[in-house]
Amino acid sequence: MTTATLAPAARTDVRRREASLGDAIRWETRKLRAQLRSKALLIGSLVAPIAVVVVVGAQSRPPKDSLFGRFSTVNGFAMALLVLGFASQWILPLVTAVVAGDIFASEDQHGTWKTVLTRSVSRSRLFWAKVVVAIVFGLLALVLLAAATIGASLLIVGHGPLIGLSGQVIQPSTALPLVAASWATMAPPLVAFTCLALLFSVWSRNAAVGIAAPVVIAMVMQLVGSLGGVEAIRPYLLTTPFEAWHGLLAEPRFTGPILDGAATSAVWAAVSLLAAFLVVRHRDITGG
Amino acid sequence: MRRFVISLVAAIAVVLAVGGAVVAGSGGGSSITRARLERSLPATFSNLYAQRATLLGHGGITPESLHASAMCDKGGAVEPDVGAGSNWNCLVSWTDPTNPMPPEGYGKLELQVHSNGCYTASAPSKLVGFATLTDTKGREVTNPVAEFDGCFDPNGDNTPTGVELPSLLSVTTTALRPDSTGHVAIQVTCGTGAGGCQGTVTATAGDADLGTVPVTVHEEQTETFSFPTAVPHRAPEVTFTFHLTTGVGPTKPVTLEMPPG
Repeated sequence: MTTATLAPAARTDVRRREASLGDAIRWETRKLRAQLRSKALLIGSLVAPIAVVVVVGAQSRPPKDSLFGRFSTVNGFAMALLVLGFASQWILPLVTAVVAGDIFASEDQHGTWKTVLTRSVSRSRLFWAKVVVAIVFGLLALVLLAAATIGASLLIVGHGPLIGLSGQVIQPSTALPLVAASWATMAPPLVAFTCLALLFSVWSRNAAVGIAAPVVIAMVMQLVGSLGGVEAIRPYLLTTPFEAWHGLLAEPRFTGPILDGAATSAVWAAVSLLAAFLVVRHRDITGG
Repeated sequence: MRRFVISLVAAIAVVLAVGGAVVAGSGGGSSITRARLERSLPATFSNLYAQRATLLGHGGITPESLHASAMCDKGGAVEPDVGAGSNWNCLVSWTDPTNPMPPEGYGKLELQVHSNGCYTASAPSKLVGFATLTDTKGREVTNPVAEFDGCFDPNGDNTPTGVELPSLLSVTTTALRPDSTGHVAIQVTCGTGAGGCQGTVTATAGDADLGTVPVTVHEEQTETFSFPTAVPHRAPEVTFTFHLTTGVGPTKPVTLEMPPG
């Protein structure tokens, strides 16, 4: 009786192929889609900018202390760039950390490491699947934020010529691609913050730490970067690439900070991922 | 929680260590320099000033026709002209046929320069007007040049521009206070500029000459000069005449009244 039931089971085991990276990505995506938090975040990325644009656009006194705040109530391009400056300081690290900081730690929280790893997927495949899903989610949130902000700004505030950062007049046909490109320069540091959140998620085994630590680090870097006297460390901070878009709106245009920022982001991302990978690799999962 | 504290402490330690090493290694080098500001500010100012001229209907003014140049300084002679701060001052000279310049030939813009290479500048209202202006169609619009933002390339050209503009000397005393022996003193301040203020000041009370004293004031400093001869009894006022070799002083003699009695 026992041998009769075991024999076919053993045969199916032999036939079962090892799960590919694509399979692992599909499982992770399905887990993410089932989460209320990730859905709420994407809907928020789409709706919150519209609310911000409406509220700021209705102010009688424009927020002059921020870059592009001066004309934000009369020019949609300026509004989209004002929101960009604000989002890069406070919002983007948080948005990406909400998913990336949780994606490994949730397996600890639910005690499911043994379950996922005893399925026939290798540790490194599972790791890379989670990395890909977290990065794609962060970029998706960025695209939604950018589209909602630019769309709402142009529709609600208007799309006249923009005054650039060298006082030059930028015609709307040029301003739109420049504003979109400015939002696109957020991608490298966003990916790097995603990797940092993944590292904290892996290391701390605690979702709260995975989400909070990158945000706290971003705030500390923001503060250090704005101090006078220590400007020499700015190129190494992960918040500096968030400000690299200024060069696109100047005349002559300069892209040096964008390239430097991409390099800085790549180093931070690579180091974070390597450390996270080593922790996952050497982790003993038999205990929990 | 313990892991969180450990990670946070480790991260801060790494940041501080790397930061300290970099700052020590580079001598705190900043990309915010006088030369980069002196290149960026006149370009931005010219573009915006031309927009103001268009709004006011002043024809023939283009960013090029203004020939703007700037001399920037941070915190006077005592501080090196490098780094972020709200104590940057830039003297900007330009040519606008519809709007003659004061005798010193420039306007002083106050700048707040941020560590990311962007700045906020406010221009003197006596030269560019107030925050809003009335355009040719009678609408109240924002004066683009009264207060503006700009950014410069942190890797841009850093060779000195060589622009030098003189300091402006002005008298800050509003009422004379002779001491018990009848001697008077005058307080003057020397503004931002190249080389400070040097020359002489002569005081006269009616026909009486109170003496001539040398004037040496460093930029962004205030000094008091007293005169060797006492003011004659019942003299109603004292006139001060400046002759400066460095810097620009008051073009007309300054007359201050003596207190009654």
